[in-house]
Amino acid sequence: MVEVVCWIAAIFTTMMGMASLSLSLPNHWRQVTGIETSQPTPSQQNALRIFGYLSLFVSLVLCLAADHPTMAVLVWVMLLALAAKGVAMILTWREHWLKPLLLMFSRTGLN
Amino acid sequence: MFSSFRQSMAWLHTWFGLTLGFILMVVFFFGSLSVFDREIDRWSIPESRFEPQVMPSFDEMLLPILRSVEPEVQDYNTNMPLLHDLSQGPMTPRTELPADEFWAYTTHRDPVLIMGVGFLVPQPLDPEGHNHIHGNITIDPRTGKAFPDDQLKIGSRFFYPMHYSLNWNWNRIGIYIVGIAAFIMMAALVSGVIIHRKRFREFFTFRPNKQTQRSVLDLHNLTGMVALPFHFFFTFTGLLIFASFYFFPVTHTQLEPLHDYHEMVEASETGLPHKRAGVPTEIASVDAMVAKAKQRWAEKDMAGEVGFLKITHVDDANSFVSIYRAGSDRVALVGEGMHFNASTGELIREEPPRSAVSEINEFLTGLHLQHFEHWLLRWLYVFGGLVGAICIATGFIFFVEKRKRQHTLQGSSGSQVVDALAVTTVTGMLVATVSMLVANRLLPAEMVGKGYWEQVVFWGSWSVMLLHAFWRSSAVRHMHISPAWREQSILFAVLAIAAVILNWITTGDHLLKTVFHYWPVAGVDLSLLVSSAIAIYAAVYLKKRENVAVNKAIEFSAQKLEASRG
Repeated sequence: MVEVVCWIAAIFTTMMGMASLSLSLPNHWRQVTGIETSQPTPSQQNALRIFGYLSLFVSLVLCLAADHPTMAVLVWVMLLALAAKGVAMILTWREHWLKPLLLMFSRTGLN
Repeated sequence: MFSSFRQSMAWLHTWFGLTLGFILMVVFFFGSLSVFDREIDRWSIPESRFEPQVMPSFDEMLLPILRSVEPEVQDYNTNMPLLHDLSQGPMTPRTELPADEFWAYTTHRDPVLIMGVGFLVPQPLDPEGHNHIHGNITIDPRTGKAFPDDQLKIGSRFFYPMHYSLNWNWNRIGIYIVGIAAFIMMAALVSGVIIHRKRFREFFTFRPNKQTQRSVLDLHNLTGMVALPFHFFFTFTGLLIFASFYFFPVTHTQLEPLHDYHEMVEASETGLPHKRAGVPTEIASVDAMVAKAKQRWAEKDMAGEVGFLKITHVDDANSFVSIYRAGSDRVALVGEGMHFNASTGELIREEPPRSAVSEINEFLTGLHLQHFEHWLLRWLYVFGGLVGAICIATGFIFFVEKRKRQHTLQGSSGSQVVDALAVTTVTGMLVATVSMLVANRLLPAEMVGKGYWEQVVFWGSWSVMLLHAFWRSSAVRHMHISPAWREQSILFAVLAIAAVILNWITTGDHLLKTVFHYWPVAGVDLSLLVSSAIAIYAAVYLKKRENVAVNKAIEFSAQKLEASRG
């Protein structure tokens, strides 16, 4: 049971990480804001990347908590693929789902 | 020939991808199914729908059964004349061949137990060679009752070999073709990343509402990139698993003496006899050896069950029993082998901890062969495999979309042929697969040669889909979407639902029951239903796009008419 909780948490954090990495790319940032001219500032970009990679690292730790290390690494790598695909699908059909994440960062980086 | 490196990479990617992509499509799809090969076995052989069992008593149950196994007629007829030395006398009759090797294999997902006997050719042409005629049997480990030979294990004996050999066994050509395709896959991955390296800036992009050529390329890049580690590692480890096989001709031709010498050195180092002594003896209690092995594993803090058991040089003074642990809890394959003297039962050798190299090798091959117990990772592998299939299929469609206008104007049928082949390998393959499952439920269980007829249905329906795809492909020339895509999707959807209903009618196992009591069958049924729903959605969507395409086609022919008038 513990491992199932860890896996679910890992899926969530990888999605979060991939979503925030996607927002650090100007193209996808524009997609979510819906404003053609908007762009993340360099500091926002950095914050998004750091948060993104940190989330991916947390998900790795969660995977390691659930399984034997050799297995956990495989689960993690596969989750990265799943999450990347998932975020791409969200950006295509449900981009507003990423709004909360965007707001979180547009406030921190805004002058 | 090419003005830039990138162009040459594009050429490589396009043409090698196109020619071997059809093979790769088969490899990816059946690879994904093979993740659940044992579950598909359960679905196709209702008598075997019970819980996985541990290895039963060898002395009481397995040994008498192994003694009763006979060499397979086909194996004898094919290989006996090749292995036997006629100058020493006539061939030993099939049923009189002495047993030389016994083995039994089970996994945590197998309710049934697979066993086999290697029979010795008494007067071999090459005494140093591996002179065995085989006989295999599958039993119910609860009762010892054998399963009939005619029942094909569709998952592990048809879909799985399809994945690595296309079930084309003539001179093992299928394995070589898949090997070449895998090698090209590696090249396609590298060249693909080079061509589309700019894509990294829009990594998560998919624009379904753009024109088909654009959105298909999006999906091709997206699926190729998100699962790049999966694609790379599985192609690489797949090649690694067969590496010894691909280089096999060398070790058995030019390097033969070295190979034999190595075997002898290994035998003297490990203390495991390389040859029979020629002195007959009795087999001691194997169950006692199993108990000892289990105790030893427990001492090493890796208590486990027996996965693989083998007796070499049966009934000979040099006979020994090898017991391997089932590796369901980790990535590496069965291991921690313990070898016992078969007549005295004393431990000859315990395999030492592995070296770093062999550990990496076992990890890499193990991650591909996945004997472990981990349902989440299994589904993630299915996801990876299907994403790979999408990547290849969208590659074909992109090829067609990019060129069909030009081909039509030039009077070439190139894109028409590629489109028809793409239909055959995408929807046609699905129809063939599910037709086989339907045939499995419709043909009576006691039918003679049932497994053979199931295969006939598989290849037959696939051929029909090929003809259908070509018949309908003329639409491509007129800038339409070939209706074969939609029609085969509908056919697949209907057959998939039929398979689930037939499973219910013929076995009484409906979903409401299996979801709570027997997941292997419920999983297959649910996957069929979900695939069916996706296929219906695709068909509806394609219908819409076909209508759009018709309008565009009218525009196009008007243009063409204008152009021809000058």
